[in-house]
Amino acid sequence: MSEQQYSGLTGRIVKYAIHNSTDVYRLGFWVGLVSFIMITLFPFYWLLVLAVTPDNQLYQMGIVPDNFNVGVFLTVVQEYPLHHYIFNSILIATITVIVCITLGSLAGYAFGRVDFPGKGPLLLLLLVISYFPGIAFLIPLFELLTGSLSILGTPTPDLYNTPWGMVFPFTMLSLPITIFILTTFYSQIPDGLEDAARVEGTTRLGALFRVIMPLSAPGVVTAAIIVFIGVYREFFFSFIMTDGSPENWAVLVYGILNFQQQHTQMYNMMAAASLIGIIPIAVLVILAQEHIVRGLTAGGLKE
Amino acid sequence: MRQKVQQAVSPVFLKIEQLDEDKYGYLLVAPVFLVLGVLAFYPLVRTFYFSLQDDDLTGVHPIGEFVGIENYVQILSGDANAILTSPFFDLQAPFSSALIVTLLITGVSVAIGTILGLGMAIILNKEFKGRRYARTIVILPWSIPIVIQGMMFFLLFQPSLSPFVEPLANLGIFSSNPLISSQDSTIIIILIDIWRKIPFIALIIMAGIASIDQNLYDVAEVAGATKWQQFRLITLPQIKPVLFIGMIFYTISSMKIYGIVEASAGCSTVPTLTCLVVQTFRQQRWATASAIAFLTAVVIGVIIMVYVVRFREADAS
Amino acid sequence: MGEVNLTDVRKEYEDVVAVEGMDLTIEDGEFVTLVGPSGCGKSTTLETISGLTTPTSGTIEIAGRDVTTKPPKDRNIAMVFQNIALFPHMTVYENISFGLRLRNFDKEEIDRRVENAVEIVQLEGMLDRSPDELSGGQQQRVGIARAIVREPDVFLMDEPLANLDAKLRVAMRTEIQRLQKELGITSVYVTHDQEEAMTMSDRIAIINDGQLQQCSPPLECYNRPVNTFVAQFIGSPSMNLFDGQVAGDALDVGDFSVAYDTAGTPLVDGDRVTLGVRPEDIYLASDADDIAHPSTPVTVSVDVLEPVGDQTYAYLLAETDGETTELLMSLDPDKEINEDETVEVVFSRDDVHVFDGAGDAVVHSLVDPSAAADDVTIEGEA
Repeated sequence: MSEQQYSGLTGRIVKYAIHNSTDVYRLGFWVGLVSFIMITLFPFYWLLVLAVTPDNQLYQMGIVPDNFNVGVFLTVVQEYPLHHYIFNSILIATITVIVCITLGSLAGYAFGRVDFPGKGPLLLLLLVISYFPGIAFLIPLFELLTGSLSILGTPTPDLYNTPWGMVFPFTMLSLPITIFILTTFYSQIPDGLEDAARVEGTTRLGALFRVIMPLSAPGVVTAAIIVFIGVYREFFFSFIMTDGSPENWAVLVYGILNFQQQHTQMYNMMAAASLIGIIPIAVLVILAQEHIVRGLTAGGLKE
Repeated sequence: MRQKVQQAVSPVFLKIEQLDEDKYGYLLVAPVFLVLGVLAFYPLVRTFYFSLQDDDLTGVHPIGEFVGIENYVQILSGDANAILTSPFFDLQAPFSSALIVTLLITGVSVAIGTILGLGMAIILNKEFKGRRYARTIVILPWSIPIVIQGMMFFLLFQPSLSPFVEPLANLGIFSSNPLISSQDSTIIIILIDIWRKIPFIALIIMAGIASIDQNLYDVAEVAGATKWQQFRLITLPQIKPVLFIGMIFYTISSMKIYGIVEASAGCSTVPTLTCLVVQTFRQQRWATASAIAFLTAVVIGVIIMVYVVRFREADAS
Repeated sequence: MGEVNLTDVRKEYEDVVAVEGMDLTIEDGEFVTLVGPSGCGKSTTLETISGLTTPTSGTIEIAGRDVTTKPPKDRNIAMVFQNIALFPHMTVYENISFGLRLRNFDKEEIDRRVENAVEIVQLEGMLDRSPDELSGGQQQRVGIARAIVREPDVFLMDEPLANLDAKLRVAMRTEIQRLQKELGITSVYVTHDQEEAMTMSDRIAIINDGQLQQCSPPLECYNRPVNTFVAQFIGSPSMNLFDGQVAGDALDVGDFSVAYDTAGTPLVDGDRVTLGVRPEDIYLASDADDIAHPSTPVTVSVDVLEPVGDQTYAYLLAETDGETTELLMSLDPDKEINEDETVEVVFSRDDVHVFDGAGDAVVHSLVDPSAAADDVTIEGEA
């Protein structure tokens, strides 16, 4: 490497960099880390600032507010059924999780531990579902789930404005990732346990339920969390399958959007509502950060 | 009574015991594929069927008669642009064309987002005190509801509200009301997408980095390679498959962008493909909407093909 | 009581026949080893006995009952696995008592049996541990305790020692034998290690390519192998096999020949034969006096010597006209022999085996007419 001559300050910096590359490297690391954290947190910070700004100062905002109006959070909850929307979101997400895990466990077990031909193509089929935009399913699903269709003379149920109108599409969207995660975890359980159980006295299915499933608990938790996050944040079917009122099971999507549409100038309330809406997920992320990391990285490994 | 039930059921259980492993496997996956058959595969087929019909704006059911690929032809040729809320593809109004806008958003987002995600993956992979907290914080943008993701940036760019709008306008980067301008809003949507996707792709890449044999780095260090060389010659090649997978998921997701648009600038300002489908659907033009939906899927498919081909080439070289 | 009977068992998978024409009877209390190379069908056979696999055709009987279609849990068997297969989320006690708890035994009875089993395998005081706290050998003993505790009709063991280190393996071998003698339970043991088979079994069932080759007591398999496959499989180092033909009153293998009168045997002049001589049945010509019936000497050059302590293995080459035949001889370590030397060796004619062109045994000795192979049934006497 030829040593070029740089002059002055630049020269000294470059020389320092070349000779102390570890230090430069470490500096770069910390700069990078801090930058990412700041970029990540800034919009949240902005929401907070906006939320606690009193009404009359909304139009002269700086980066740091002059006054704090913490009462805005109470106002939002009291005057507006935000909590109802959040409750709907949490409930529907939970139901979806239960359905997905129940259905997906059997399949995850089979893909992970049972030897049968055609595993690859079947898994590919699952992947293909997640590659179609939700809209590609929308119209027939909407038809099917709102009673617009007749099968053999009987109309399909009208699930518009019911929780099931959302649970079914969410299940469909979440099953592929559920199965991928569960397959990974099931395949990591040691071999031969089912054989041992069957010889000891369980039936084939008994071995699955009594011995293997208890061992797959970490995988189930991970999948449950990923599905929950996915459903809670979902926009599309949440929007379409209900008319927006909380009695009709509208979820958080509507809770927030209605502010935009009905209370257009109440920006601080919008911000407060958004922050409140984030709380359940933030709590979940804080508590379950390891599982989330494990779940998403399992997706990368499953290739 | 219990005995009767047991007696009736036991031949079934016995059969299960005796099944060869193949059949047992199929039995176990059958429920899932049945459910998906109804909720996923059937709708896809039916959407395609709809796309071959005509819109029926007057009848009870919005689907009319069979017209073959006419819907597709009309959309692709631009004839349909008149009835659509925004044109599908119109070179003269690029920022109003759903296809162009979506491709633009996806392209820029994936490019920048992947690089930043790679950076974050490397940083988060190192062991340092407080890594847990860093990871927790960094996951948040991805995990919060889409509507709130949009809302945040809606509030960030409200001219009457945000102290950033004016300086940015003065610098000439944005107009004075960015959320109304198609161009500016497109950029904002790209920003949101990158902001929320970085942790997602970072975590996927982290899996790849973590599975690289540490010995390789030792060998390289002994051989005198610098950190940058180690990154270029060991890390990058080893994580190629994972990067590839991550980018595919990223791309698919960006092509489907809808929620953050609806929650910030609105579909009339930034008409993504999904935006277009939803609005066409709301106009009761189910058939046309179905055709656009399928076209979107086709476009995504083509892009994936390109990825696969390029990956195979890169792999082979 | 715990007799196991396989009749014409056949197991076929989509493109492969794993086991064919398997007829095997294991007497009550007997220890029989199924042995053979990888993929020979021994594990599949064991699986049909255990019920983890249903045979394509044929019947399986255990303790006089037809269990061919019965699931494993209804066969009153116990199994010990190669990968041990202890339930990771249960303690040693819970692992051992699993089968008993499934069958709703009394708590006192369970405790009594578990105590007993744990004593037999010498794992007292470990009941509260979890499997990951135990060593490999301890884990395997828990597996054995789990099998003992149900007092089954048959023990099935699928290469249980394969994952243990060499020393442990030898120690466990003895333990399993002792156990089996003490409890007297019929045992079917699968291994690919012929030495294990030889040391542990009442009878050995040698399987190749899905078919039973021979089922006889160890020494009989060793001294009277029914075909070249068994001859080569049993005994380490392997028996020397030389292909040749009947030439008048001798068997000619090309680089040397051995005098033999084929009268009284099914062989005639010109027939293809294979000669089999074990390394320990080859001697230096100078030691010919030590054997009852030495053959005529054969001149060989010593290629490589491998002293392994209690023996020395000598790789010998017999050469004529550019063709070479390799022989392996084992001898006392203090015999005078050097590499690259030319020596003369003799065979002990009492111990030379002759196999016909199809590989089946004809005689097991060139001297003793009563050592004719006659129709040694594939299933020898118990």
